[in-house]
Amino acid sequence: MNRQPRALLSVLLLGLIAFMAWRWWSDQQPPADSGTEIVFSDVNTRGGVMTSSLRSEPTSFNRWVDRSFPTSFISHLTQSTLVRLNRATQEVEPAMAESWTTSADGRTFTLTLRDAAWSDGTPFTSADVLFTFKAIYDPNANSILAGSLKVDGQPLAVTAPDARTVVVGFPGSFGPGIALLDNLMLAPRHKLEAALAAGTFAKAWNASTPVGELVSLGPFLLTRYEPGQRLVFDRNPRYWKKDASGVALPYLDQIVAEVVPDQNAELVRLQSGQIDMLQQQVRPEDIATLRPLVDQGKLQLLELGVGTDPDVFFFNLRPQQWAKDPRGSWINRREFRQAISHAVDREAFANTVFLGAGVPIWGPVTPGNQKWFSPNVRRYGFSLDKAKELLTGLGLANRDADEWLEDEQGTEARFTLLTYRGNSSLERSAAVLRDDLRPLGIAVDVVALEQGALVQRMLKGDFEAIFFVLTASALDPAMSPDFWLSSGTAHIWNIGQASPATEWEAQIDTLMHQMMSSIDQPERKRLFDQVQDIFAEHLPALYFVAPRMYIGVSSRLGSLSPSILRPQLLWAADTITVRSPAPAGQGGR
Amino acid sequence: MGRYLLRRLGFALLLVLTVSSASLLLTRLAPGDIASEQALALDPEALSRLRAELGLDRPLASQYLSWLGGLARLDFGRSLLYSRPVNTLIGERALNTAVLAVVALLVATLVGLPLGVYSGSRSRGLGRSVVRGLSVLALSVPPLIGSLALVFLAARTGWLPVGGMTSAAGVDQDWARWLVDLARHVPIPALALALPLAATLERLQSQAIEKTSREPFVAASRARGLGQAQAIIRHAWPVSLRSVLGLYGVMIGSLFSGSFVVEVVTAWPGLGRLMYDALKARDLYLVAGCAATGAFFLAAGTWLADALMAMADPRLRSRETP
Repeated sequence: MNRQPRALLSVLLLGLIAFMAWRWWSDQQPPADSGTEIVFSDVNTRGGVMTSSLRSEPTSFNRWVDRSFPTSFISHLTQSTLVRLNRATQEVEPAMAESWTTSADGRTFTLTLRDAAWSDGTPFTSADVLFTFKAIYDPNANSILAGSLKVDGQPLAVTAPDARTVVVGFPGSFGPGIALLDNLMLAPRHKLEAALAAGTFAKAWNASTPVGELVSLGPFLLTRYEPGQRLVFDRNPRYWKKDASGVALPYLDQIVAEVVPDQNAELVRLQSGQIDMLQQQVRPEDIATLRPLVDQGKLQLLELGVGTDPDVFFFNLRPQQWAKDPRGSWINRREFRQAISHAVDREAFANTVFLGAGVPIWGPVTPGNQKWFSPNVRRYGFSLDKAKELLTGLGLANRDADEWLEDEQGTEARFTLLTYRGNSSLERSAAVLRDDLRPLGIAVDVVALEQGALVQRMLKGDFEAIFFVLTASALDPAMSPDFWLSSGTAHIWNIGQASPATEWEAQIDTLMHQMMSSIDQPERKRLFDQVQDIFAEHLPALYFVAPRMYIGVSSRLGSLSPSILRPQLLWAADTITVRSPAPAGQGGR
Repeated sequence: MGRYLLRRLGFALLLVLTVSSASLLLTRLAPGDIASEQALALDPEALSRLRAELGLDRPLASQYLSWLGGLARLDFGRSLLYSRPVNTLIGERALNTAVLAVVALLVATLVGLPLGVYSGSRSRGLGRSVVRGLSVLALSVPPLIGSLALVFLAARTGWLPVGGMTSAAGVDQDWARWLVDLARHVPIPALALALPLAATLERLQSQAIEKTSREPFVAASRARGLGQAQAIIRHAWPVSLRSVLGLYGVMIGSLFSGSFVVEVVTAWPGLGRLMYDALKARDLYLVAGCAATGAFFLAAGTWLADALMAMADPRLRSRETP
């Protein structure tokens, strides 16, 4: 009777010993490529294949109607804009417009186009620019870019005096100026005009379109799409850009994007050298795993800087939410939100949620947004005493034998916090907030929901509080009016107000309108600093920590221009080089 | 026999209809939809236009009835996520999943059944304990951990590709090289699927052999002078297969409808991953199409298992004969 458990135990022990022996053996093995002498040529070497990961596959190749990450990834490699925001310097630079002039009132821009061609040889002209604007503003096309290419809700006026000149007129004065055109992915008129005329533009260039029908204006050309597996991009032989020595860009012959849906498997592939680059930042918990490979020189862990889209915690501040709920009398008070801000130890928060790779913040604009960050906004240092003092001022006190506070009517200080299921940093953040508020006597019930359900409840206003992440489309706050203006669709605490619900929101609206219409940069900064001050005083949304972002890449890659903005490396894909053979099994040539 | 087959076919159709309808209705009724992700980026009018274009503004009954009309013509509709016919998407992925399923089924059968016969025909011994121990281990490791462990093993040793179905150079090669490339990619996901199934088969076969070995007809065959091994293989095993084959239907159904976890971790472009993406995006027609395919394979697997059982057990054959 006793022999079987003993035998089982022996099997397990033998297995354990065998595993440890195998780990020891594999650690002793020289790196797989150590037998090959790799001569690292200098940077700017032309040729080679780079393999990247992609967490999901494209649902469409039509960037004008699809905002998913894979579609945006493809468009960054294959399409181009008139001007582009240099993601590293955060300055505007020429792209398909080689130069431009600005009128004295800053409302009219005359752009001179490059003498360039689409990848199929069709010349790129001002007709393509006019067509792109027409498609984006066509209501039937339902373009996702339409909103970001309007000023005060009005479309831009575009004319083309000749094939190489485009005149863009803004309906009003607009602070970001020509940077707005960084949103304009140019569309090939010769390929898509028929679809627009037939009212089928939104369905054109869908994921079943043969790749041979796609044309490119960017550095690469999509030459193969194997559904569920990979996308292969070859060099666009007609790409216009050259480096300082006159060498035609891009340097790489080919980019292979392998679809790897699981983040753990993606990391294993990077570690084993089967991919060269992750498409998303490394999770804090994975940094320690990659360190040994960085020390061995196999990987580079690039610090991109402080993230610009921090997680946000906010209450539902719609008046109707709390009309019949006694908790509204204190949840709607800014002192309550200030007390919460005081109760959170941001250093400890950074250590727990981001394993130390984060910086404390007090507003939506983080130090990663170099131009617009204000270091002088009001800060709420960690102090439970101050928090308790503020809560007492609101009439919240422990009036019974339990550990929770109650108001004068006996209503418990408790609220439900919704967060996004499957996002580990948000789930951890919600748990930390719940634990931090417990010593104060505030009870938080955390509920994790699937993303679609969470967004729907947020839009309907059917929530008490939410911990979420919002992705801003641009660094310049004038390009995110939907968040700042009370009428905005991303004014998350009280969406789409017909008129400002509070005096301070009216103040922010006024300042933002002034800031958006001013073309005097120092004045714009001064106005936006005021907006940040008001925001920090009233705390409609609370921010605790912004993560430091890292990205892992193979050490075979060179000439990288990391940026905090997506796509962190491939925004400058044309200058990336490789310095050694491609990973095993890769390379379509 | 004909009536029996017709009855099973009717059951299969009912199963497909019920499962796909339930999937469509539940996906539609759950909060949020495929347009929710864009809700914060679009103004209300654009969002309404998008919902109208995708047909999400139609009443549930009208949406369901038009989908049923399509189903009668074997048309599962158009994927909201990919803007492509669901039938095409499922066709592409079902073939990939079938490759994996066939290999996994073969491995599970070739490993699980012999080991089950071996451990079931022995009352004690180290070999039996080792087989039982390994089976328990394979059964207790969750598929996610099992898949990741195999991926990790492949990455550490470099013996096999870590994921995917072919390498990037694969499609440009001649068919023989392409086949070799495919064969190098199959083992990791196939093993991740096959190991727990092999363990299940081993456990079932072992118990069935133990039970059948005690039947009088096995003792009678021994009395006629057959050795133990021959008595088990020729007489006990075919009868013991009945309980094992009962599970085959479910196994085939689950394998051919794709495994979420294994296909996601090993980046295998199969039906499981397609269903996972469809569920994440709330693509109701694609969810319903994938569910219908899974239900079809389950029904077909069960039918096949019944047929195999009838072949294996002579008592069942004689019962079916009028």
